[in-house]
Amino acid sequence: MGLIARVLEEAGVPTLIMTSAWDITRAMGPPRAAFLHAPLGHQTGPPGDPDAQRAIVRAALEAGVSIEGPGEIVDLEIPWPHDPGWEARAYSAEHVETDPNGKPKRG
Amino acid sequence: MDSSRQPAHAIDYMERTRKLYSSQPAYRWASFDPESEPPPFTPIAGPLSSLRIALMASGGVHDQEQEPFHFRNDTSVREIATDTPIDDLRVSHFGYDISDAQIDPGCVLPLRALRELEAEGVIRSLVDPALTFMGGIYSTRRVAEEVAPRFLDFVLRQKADLAYLVPA
Repeated sequence: MGLIARVLEEAGVPTLIMTSAWDITRAMGPPRAAFLHAPLGHQTGPPGDPDAQRAIVRAALEAGVSIEGPGEIVDLEIPWPHDPGWEARAYSAEHVETDPNGKPKRG
Repeated sequence: MDSSRQPAHAIDYMERTRKLYSSQPAYRWASFDPESEPPPFTPIAGPLSSLRIALMASGGVHDQEQEPFHFRNDTSVREIATDTPIDDLRVSHFGYDISDAQIDPGCVLPLRALRELEAEGVIRSLVDPALTFMGGIYSTRRVAEEVAPRFLDFVLRQKADLAYLVPA
């Protein structure tokens, strides 16, 4: 998405990237980004909770509009109480690769 | 705030991925040198309530009537009508755990949230349709040549004031 954001910005269209992977987004040099500290696959909120999703998206857009210069990633500082222990599992030995249908891939 | 500094709680995905797949050739993420290739930047014109926002997401969400995404390097794009009922959306993606997104695509494609923000007047409008694709394209050249121009053409035609990009 960083690459696409750069193409749009160069052509005069402002962009805002929603990220939960700070380091990967940072490396891409995003024009503007909002960071939600959540497991990948939940960048715009927890499942089945429209109020939380709306609050997250609203916070991201408000943060994005407030960014004044290139390269800034705003930490939304929204807690993620939905999945205790997720940080230790993310891309650790417990990570399971999946096929496009979300089924675990056999090694 | 020094935005170049990673929050202490943020996960080092690059480091963890290198460790997890240490037996395989190292994956190379797209990267730009901040000194020689600083990000381009177009100021946002006006307050949030005046903005027409285009939603583009790479989480692999598509309408149940549309062809699912395929395995890796699928640069095809789906147009998702913004009034699509959430139960009509499906998710196919190999690059992240999609179990929650399959239950509720709003986790990675905030159509409902943006529709509600439009109704509340928080944003002026949501561009219809939203565009989706499936990230995980292992060629920056193909993203630059096949996906980015299509998105650019779309936002210019739709006169969007801001492109909200949700990767996955």
